[in-house]
Amino acid sequence: MRSLLLTGSSFALTTAVVVNAFIQKKQFFPAVVYLTTKSSPCIAILYLQAFVLVLLFGKLMRKIFFGQLRPAETEHLIEKSWYAVTDTCLAFTMFRDDFSPIFVASFTILLFLKCFHWLLEDRLSSVQLVFGFEYAILATVVLTVFLKYILHSIDLMSDNPWENKAVYMLYIELITGLVRVVLYLCFTFIMVKVHTFPLFSVRPMYLTMRQFKKAVSDIVLSRRAIRNMNTLYPDATAEDLASTDSTCIICREEMHTTNQDNAQPGVPAAGTNKKLPCSHVFHASCLRSWFQRQQTCPTCRLDVLQTQQRAPAPTPAPQNPPQAGIPPGPQFAPPFPPMFHPPQAMWPGAAPPPMQAPSNTQGPSTQSPPTQSTQPNTFLPPNQMFVPPLMCPLPPPPPFNLSGLSDEQVQLMEGQERRSVEARIECLRNIKVLLDAAVMQMSQYAVVMQAQGDAFTIPPMPDLSPSPQENQPEQTPTIPPTAEPTTSSEHQVETLPPQVVPVDDSDSNPTDATELRRRRLANLDAKMNQ
Amino acid sequence: MVGSALKRLMAEYKQLSLNPPEGIVAGPINEENFFEWEAMILGPEDTPFEGGVFRTTLNFPTDYPMSPPKMKFVSEMFHPNIYPDGRVCISILHSPGDDPMGYETSAERWSPVQSIEKILLSVMSMLAEPNPESGANVDASKMWRDNQEQFIKHAEKLVRKSLDLPENL
Repeated sequence: MRSLLLTGSSFALTTAVVVNAFIQKKQFFPAVVYLTTKSSPCIAILYLQAFVLVLLFGKLMRKIFFGQLRPAETEHLIEKSWYAVTDTCLAFTMFRDDFSPIFVASFTILLFLKCFHWLLEDRLSSVQLVFGFEYAILATVVLTVFLKYILHSIDLMSDNPWENKAVYMLYIELITGLVRVVLYLCFTFIMVKVHTFPLFSVRPMYLTMRQFKKAVSDIVLSRRAIRNMNTLYPDATAEDLASTDSTCIICREEMHTTNQDNAQPGVPAAGTNKKLPCSHVFHASCLRSWFQRQQTCPTCRLDVLQTQQRAPAPTPAPQNPPQAGIPPGPQFAPPFPPMFHPPQAMWPGAAPPPMQAPSNTQGPSTQSPPTQSTQPNTFLPPNQMFVPPLMCPLPPPPPFNLSGLSDEQVQLMEGQERRSVEARIECLRNIKVLLDAAVMQMSQYAVVMQAQGDAFTIPPMPDLSPSPQENQPEQTPTIPPTAEPTTSSEHQVETLPPQVVPVDDSDSNPTDATELRRRRLANLDAKMNQ
Repeated sequence: MVGSALKRLMAEYKQLSLNPPEGIVAGPINEENFFEWEAMILGPEDTPFEGGVFRTTLNFPTDYPMSPPKMKFVSEMFHPNIYPDGRVCISILHSPGDDPMGYETSAERWSPVQSIEKILLSVMSMLAEPNPESGANVDASKMWRDNQEQFIKHAEKLVRKSLDLPENL
């Protein structure tokens, strides 16, 4: 009532002063000058009016943002504002030179803002806290629904099936569950600190936690099932498909066998079929969609995760998937020449190579354990150069101790081994051709000598060893350009594996021999004609 | 997901059209929308519902067959396992995750192996042998348990209604 009276009289005084000034001065500018500079009572009245206006504005703000103040709040507010005013008055003494209407205005605004902040603090620490948290929880629900809506609309827009949608849904559940759990925990903590234990929020908190736990386990289980499917379960073979009716019972479509050439381990190719431990066969993609929801066999409800834990199933090894169906050795090893030893001799930890050498093999080499790393490779002394190959059976070198090497190194070693073996075989073939030619030459010489009787007297020396001039024309056509030069051939003889030679006889030899023989005869004819 | 669901629904429609099971006619209401089906179910013989032709609708989710369809009787029904609004409460239509009645084992729940034909056959056998333990319609369950004669009378009334015949002849 009193404030109303004050406000009313202030407005009346202001109006009176302004009207009086305009009557006296008749014009706008002189009137304003008169009001603001000439008469101090007028200035006082105007200041009072400004103060009243500010108070009214503050009341309006309070009505909008806070409504009716509780008595405790008003008391609190007045108490605090007194301190603020005295503090500011002390601050005035420092800035008394700058005292101006702008200064007063900013001071007033500051005071109001402070008041509103105090009020806000008071309000928040009470019931409003509860509602605030409830609204936050509701906001997460809104967010979840919104995200799911977006996912569904994306799915609807594209005609093609979107297989990953279920995965995204699972993750959205997980994240919102986490947010809600965190919110509830914060709320309980704050409530316990400020008031007392919030009994009413125990039930929703429990529900939220259970939901969160379910979301986590859903994700874990579905991921595990899909990983198992990719790595553990074998691809269905043609026999598997033939034994059933070769229809995927999930999508009711035919299953076809796929070639596994381009399939990478751990990642099934498109259209692959998978066989579960209960020997039911499905499309891999259909099975994945189902495993995102349930981890059971669609047909017989076998829990695929439990069976995997019960049975001593092979541990998932992505780099060596068992669904390949073949041991890893031949998969990586290059195809070896047929006359050579089988590749398991190269494989770490494999059995020692079968010694196929004849009985006159040197004794110690056959009994040497494969783990002995530095077994000497030279079983033949270098002076045994001209022993025929069949007479010096040379067992292949025992395998090195390969356990310390990685797969790549072993593979590399095998590659080098194979190249050198091939080069060696090539070289040996050339030598053999040359030797055959020499032998044939000798026999031809002998025949010709006998036929000619004693017409010529030939020294015995050239008979035994072919002269270089005669050898030259035969050498060039028989040696392929890629082969190693013959200079290394004698050196290779001593390390020749005994199995190589007999196989060589069958191929490449006869044609070369007849060709040589023809040339040789022609050569001889020409010589004799001379 | 929509693509594979559509393919499977078309395959099932073809199968149902080629050799329809006895007492069941089913198909999409509109060939434009394969996710809304209508099915007519003949009341099984030697049951209170014998002779009736009941109209039902099937609503398929977009991720069918990973999730079960929803089935609803359009014709008025009075049955322990059918809600008063027509929804069918049968374990084969519940996805394994949730358990509304709290006693079903997951072995009798939905799985992608199930089909529309199996659902409709299950509903037929449900009409023949109500399960009053998991009552969707409490009045019907009570009547079935306590007063079978009245139940049969009520059922016959519904059969006549489903055939558009006058209630009392």
